[in-house]
Amino acid sequence: MRGSVTDTKTQELLTGVNVILRGTIRGTVTDIHGKYQLNEIPAGTYDAAFSLVGYTADTVYKISIQPDTELHLDEHLVQAPIQEDQVVVTANRREQSLREIPVSVSTVSSKMIADHVSVTLDDALRYVPGVNMMQDQVNIRGSSGYSRGIGSRVLILVDGLPYITGDTGEIPWETIPMFQIDRIEVVKGAGSALYGSSALGGVINVITKEINEIPEVRFRLFSGIYDKPAYAEWDWSDKTRLNTGGFISYSNRIGPFGYLLSVSRMVDDSYRENDVYHRWGLYSKFNYIFSQYQSATLTANIQWRSHGNFFWWKSLNDVIRPADSQLGGEVHSTRGNLSFAYKEIVSDRLFYTLKAIYFGNFWQDNIYDRINNTAASHTTQVDAQATYETSPMNVVTGGVVANYDRIYTNIFGSHPGAGAGFYVQDELTFLHSVKLTAGIRYDWQRVWKEIFASPAASSPSQLNPKMGLVFSPGPTTTLRASYGEGFRYPSMSEFFTSVNTGLSQISIVPNDSLKPERSASFEIGGSQWLSDRIVLDLALFQNDFYDLIEAGVNPQFEIQFKNVTRARIRGFEFGIKADMFNRLLTADINYTYIYPEDLSDHTILKFRPRHLFYASVTAQYGLLQTELGYRYVSRVEAIDENLVRFAPIVDGDVRVPCSVLDAGITYNLTHLGLPLAVGLNIKNLTNYSYVELLGNLAPVRTIYVSVESAW
Amino acid sequence: MQTLHLDNPICLVFPAQIRFLVLIILCLYLAGCDGGLAPPPPAEFGFSGTVYFAPGSWPPTDSLVSIMIFASKIYPLDSATTVSGLFSDPPQIFVYPSMSESLRPFFTDSLSYVFPLRSGTYKYIGVVQQISSDVLHSSIRVFRVVGFYKNPANLAQPGNVIVNDTSQVKDINIQVDFRNPPPQPF
Repeated sequence: MRGSVTDTKTQELLTGVNVILRGTIRGTVTDIHGKYQLNEIPAGTYDAAFSLVGYTADTVYKISIQPDTELHLDEHLVQAPIQEDQVVVTANRREQSLREIPVSVSTVSSKMIADHVSVTLDDALRYVPGVNMMQDQVNIRGSSGYSRGIGSRVLILVDGLPYITGDTGEIPWETIPMFQIDRIEVVKGAGSALYGSSALGGVINVITKEINEIPEVRFRLFSGIYDKPAYAEWDWSDKTRLNTGGFISYSNRIGPFGYLLSVSRMVDDSYRENDVYHRWGLYSKFNYIFSQYQSATLTANIQWRSHGNFFWWKSLNDVIRPADSQLGGEVHSTRGNLSFAYKEIVSDRLFYTLKAIYFGNFWQDNIYDRINNTAASHTTQVDAQATYETSPMNVVTGGVVANYDRIYTNIFGSHPGAGAGFYVQDELTFLHSVKLTAGIRYDWQRVWKEIFASPAASSPSQLNPKMGLVFSPGPTTTLRASYGEGFRYPSMSEFFTSVNTGLSQISIVPNDSLKPERSASFEIGGSQWLSDRIVLDLALFQNDFYDLIEAGVNPQFEIQFKNVTRARIRGFEFGIKADMFNRLLTADINYTYIYPEDLSDHTILKFRPRHLFYASVTAQYGLLQTELGYRYVSRVEAIDENLVRFAPIVDGDVRVPCSVLDAGITYNLTHLGLPLAVGLNIKNLTNYSYVELLGNLAPVRTIYVSVESAW
Repeated sequence: MQTLHLDNPICLVFPAQIRFLVLIILCLYLAGCDGGLAPPPPAEFGFSGTVYFAPGSWPPTDSLVSIMIFASKIYPLDSATTVSGLFSDPPQIFVYPSMSESLRPFFTDSLSYVFPLRSGTYKYIGVVQQISSDVLHSSIRVFRVVGFYKNPANLAQPGNVIVNDTSQVKDINIQVDFRNPPPQPF
């Protein structure tokens, strides 16, 4: 079966259209010429579904495949200016339209990643409504504060599997294969009822691209030039400082066997001293189709990285030089994962998946070539899930998970950890306009000081429910309500760190009596189409947090992680998407208000901004696309003064709002017969100076040139 | 509904609505922009010392609005250079505490002070008395110099004071005799 997919109106050939034979595991995407091909389809009758972000999905029913005969099927898609029928998988662990989901979900497409020249995943999330980054720490609706790489209150998944390091429980942003991302889904609110630990404030699922049916070479190259800092007093280098990188990949399918091989390289001189970054990456994906209903995928990903230490600045006079104690420091790491997924469609009503992931994380930090700290962590998780449609109006999803972790470090010690859980969820549709969801998950997790020695560190078992309701009173209105609970087991580093920081005279001491952090999220909201071009979305939310873990300074001037904070975060999120002038211009404007209260002492919760405002306007004119984006994050009102005082971070309490303008222009050369798209992006156009993280000047104005091709 | 002519250049195709949207974004940007982080102003160590007042020389309160210390990078001064020195950018004449504040208390024998200043050579340092609050319409002299820091080698001339960014210059002492003021520079 082969053919092409075009835009109904412009007759433009469409790249990246998902073509799926419903009820089977078979599918592909159109190439840069808008063509697709599906080989070796057994004779039979199928429904072929075509979908692409920005277009209304369409299904061609009852196509007949004859033995040894090629079917030619061309499809035409109609522009849907706003992502009305976008399909997501994260909210309920199965494919659903956004309009069927009772929680707030945002998505980032691979095109948006390429258009923004997002080098790492954290960079790609900076325009997601309700999300703000504190450098590389992700914060969904105020869920996270300052943890400096220890623990994450947002769960990261890659293709549905957890992607958090076994030692510090942090997100290894740089190892996520950015060039192979199909889309990112961000689910807001507690999500432990389906995903377990760390889904305290939300879940981010990175979904990688499928292997194409026909041979394809893709590459992307980019080079960015850092401008001088805004003030001459801060300038420290006469050298032109670059951020350069790219990848090349090749994919093919030979009969039932498909593969993708990719290599990436990045070198970032950085705009700051001792912040140089080098990285090599290898990524491969192998897929085998056993039959129309069974397939297996193996993914291997490994990254080698070295980078300098820049924890905080020297002072406000020297914002792009690190404190003297960090000079000469660098970190070398090797991180990678091996993951496996098997999917079988048993019948029209039942399918199941078996997934497993091993994530290895090895790093050492050096100070002037002397090895300081070393760590090795191994994390393994298996996940079996089945989805059964008991009737057209009722879908049950359930599964079991298990994990085993092992770390060997000189700062956290050597410890094993293990856990298991199971979950079940029921989605019931009635009256054709109401969908009710209820689910629950049980988790058991233990961490031991020595291999399975008693007693284990404190880790009570967790039971987390979820409930959701979607009501669609009309075709243009959707109302939703949801309640969910979340938790995060303390990371091994929070339990067991025992070290002199090396950055100051302060020691960190262990605390093996830590309890899990817990949260409860409640949200009501809805979306309303004002016309076929404008949609509004409003959500009111309240998130309660219990036993939040914070690093405090005790009277002996030692840092220790403790369950200290009870917090409540209330707020609302409002968004408007508008498409004007036959899609010549699209606007996406979002505002989030957060009132973060520390109920322990009735003060503003530390490290949370109150206002997030993101706006982007995209103008499409033929093959030329221009984009203007603006981000505003209000000044963080409260910080941990003790941290500033005792670290010490000179001038660490200095902070301002984030107010950043980005601009970009992309030109597609395919109409000239060249399979190329070239882009020019200017990040931080006005060279605004601000901090996302204490004592860290955010990137200065950077001008990127990029080239992407596929053939 | 507005018809778009897609074969026109972009700038002609963009109607007022688009420009309006861009304008909104730019306005929001400007509204949220407070200038961002900036280096702290250079440390100002300046100079310090004591002003000694001749016993029994304080004038009556109706002719004593304020007293201030001045430091001028220009010497000699006249009326024109005094005005331009005060209001040029950067200024060449500095006043402590400020043009609207006075050293306090009055009727004392001495006052210690610290005058923060950027680095530079200050050629004329002294104490000025404001006699009237009606600066614009007074028929009498409103300001008069009542004492200055003297050159130790030539007490008739002002002494130079070199201020740097690393330490405070101390012992810049000034004798004031309201009944016997020095020659006026303006």
